[in-house]
Amino acid sequence: MMNKEEIAPHVKEIARVLEGKVSEQDIEKDLDNYLNVYRMSLEASKRHIVRKYGGDPNALTKGERKLLSQLGLSEQSVDLLVRVMSSNTREVTVGGNPKTIQSGILADENGSTVKFTVWDISKADLKAGENYLIRYAYTKEWSGQPEVHLGNRVVVELRPQDEVKVPDSVVVPQVGGGYSAPIVAKVADLRENMNNVTLTGRILSLKTKEVETPSGKKAMFTGVIADETGKVEFTAWHDFGLKDDEVITVTNAYVKGWKGIPRLSFGERGQVTRPKVKMPTKDELSQATRKGIDELERTGGASDVIVTGTIVDIKKGTGLIFRCPECNRVVQKGVCQVHGKVQQVPDLRIKVVVDDGSAAITAVMKREVTEELTGITLKSALDEARETMDPDAVGHRFEEQLLAKPIEVRGNVISDDYGLSMNVNEAKFTTVDVRTEAEALLKKIEVI
Amino acid sequence: MKTREVAWRVFASEYNASTLEIKGEGEKAPSYVVTPLGAMVNRVFIVGLLTDLQNLGTEGEPYWRALLSDGMNKFYLFAGKYNPEATLVLSKLQPPAYVAVVGKTRTYSPEEGKIFVSVRPEKIIRVEESVKDNWVLEAARSTLKRIDCLEEAMQMDSPTVDELTKMGYTRALAEGVVHALPHYKEVELNRYRGMVLEALEQLLPERSGELSIPADILSAGPEELEDEPDEGDKEELVLKLIDKLDTNKKGAPLADLIREAGKAGIGEAELEEINNSLLDKGLIYEPTIGKMKRI
Repeated sequence: MMNKEEIAPHVKEIARVLEGKVSEQDIEKDLDNYLNVYRMSLEASKRHIVRKYGGDPNALTKGERKLLSQLGLSEQSVDLLVRVMSSNTREVTVGGNPKTIQSGILADENGSTVKFTVWDISKADLKAGENYLIRYAYTKEWSGQPEVHLGNRVVVELRPQDEVKVPDSVVVPQVGGGYSAPIVAKVADLRENMNNVTLTGRILSLKTKEVETPSGKKAMFTGVIADETGKVEFTAWHDFGLKDDEVITVTNAYVKGWKGIPRLSFGERGQVTRPKVKMPTKDELSQATRKGIDELERTGGASDVIVTGTIVDIKKGTGLIFRCPECNRVVQKGVCQVHGKVQQVPDLRIKVVVDDGSAAITAVMKREVTEELTGITLKSALDEARETMDPDAVGHRFEEQLLAKPIEVRGNVISDDYGLSMNVNEAKFTTVDVRTEAEALLKKIEVI
Repeated sequence: MKTREVAWRVFASEYNASTLEIKGEGEKAPSYVVTPLGAMVNRVFIVGLLTDLQNLGTEGEPYWRALLSDGMNKFYLFAGKYNPEATLVLSKLQPPAYVAVVGKTRTYSPEEGKIFVSVRPEKIIRVEESVKDNWVLEAARSTLKRIDCLEEAMQMDSPTVDELTKMGYTRALAEGVVHALPHYKEVELNRYRGMVLEALEQLLPERSGELSIPADILSAGPEELEDEPDEGDKEELVLKLIDKLDTNKKGAPLADLIREAGKAGIGEAELEEINNSLLDKGLIYEPTIGKMKRI
């Protein structure tokens, strides 16, 4: 979903290409429609609109202007409008000759930051605290992050102070060089092993734990922090005086992960500030985030997400199962692979593959979820197994009830060697208003 | 990370028009059928009306051929002893019935550059009409997405997977489109738009007729007109050809039949219609895929 502010620059660009033939309001309405109703990509939507009004889609920006957050790891030629946060000039030796290069950190209005290097100081001399329009820069990868390079093709233009306003939450030390640029991230951007992360969000829950360390008792704070892109669990190893429901900006945090689910950690080297920024309420943020399965495949695990799709396969181990009372493993014929012959405990479970046409995920439902979804309780399943003398009977019934049905599942998603899987906390069959959706699609074909 | 192949939602007209196969290299590498719109299909999810079901094998070792109609065209399904689950379900089904199928692509190539695609079901289940309606909607939506992606790619000088994924298309689709474009060259997008319109009309029956479908879309529609006056004569002719070409009593090879029918002025698409009609009437059967034999 793109909001009005995000759409605005693109509306202006389309208006420019159409040379004022169409009002910005009309363009905005169209663009909003394409993006948010028909879910077309931004580029495709822009081209369609320009074509629709008889303009030339090739007149849309060529020298690609990008936000720092959109930078790829190997951009060939990119334009950036940025503030220089820090800049250091130093001598290096290239091929036996001394050469002066410059490096430092750039930021943009969204608060993203990136490291830069100027290779030809006669082409560009960037001063800290100034704004520049940098054209024809390129990027290279540096420990998984893009780094901007200004080579000999670069064109730099000094811009007025009010053109780039970097959010106050972006803090970059002015001296010294060589440290990584802080990554200003949204929750959805967090990946295992990220360092020096800056994140702003609202604390949804908070717990204090006392832990024993070699240097005595220490308080540790854990909970969930969220922004409009998702939720993430966090651990604070230092007492920052955190309070439930407050909005904080954490700097110099790092990300650890478990099976692809990221976890934000910060300690004494981190900082916590309380910025005055707009952030959805706790209730709004507590909703699970909807994700496409292909999106999860790209990003790995995630906390508390909703996925919709069709059940395309029922896995073994669905239906009535028996567990070891010691270790909870599923046992076969009363024998646990670790504890041998045990007094087995019955349980009910569903393991299915949910596929949304973009990718597939295994969804595992525990007893409560299974009972709620199917209306079959553990007790009735046991009765049925006894009557039919067939412990698999319930599994077969589940298959008939579930296969080919559209479903919505909510839970935590892990990503490991076996692919994506979700521990489902809530599941329900979905019904789609086929007629309304069909009408909407028809309109789309008719406008194009 | 091992990822499960996604189940594509495609209409039969698009699927059956596929002539590009990408064979996986190495032991467990998957193979794909690339459709004209760039779906790179290893697995499909289809829902439709089971219109015809025949056991081409024996009672003891059945080999089922099923025809599944999406309302416009038909999918061919084959299931035998290597698909015990599907075979068991099929043996209990009675057409007509709405069924949902999750299956793998299967191809048969009688000669270089020519392939026939069918589906080998992994899972098959009888469903309510609402499940079919929901599927038609999903298939329509994903077909439109492919049309969009292909149209974008056609306008690029040399489309790449990266560029298309940057535009928001899934990697699988971007890859498929990049494979499809040089192979199929000029794909008639309007033909497929027409197909989607027709599919959506199924969901909005009272709207059909009042839709503003451009004439060129209609004329290029995937559904061929049936009941031409000389249909019966042509069927007779094809039956004779099948007899003549069935030299070893194992059926007439389809490739030969296409060639001979072509000489008699029957095009390939028309021949397929005639064969389907003969199959439906129970006058011929397919003992193995790509062979036709009189009953």
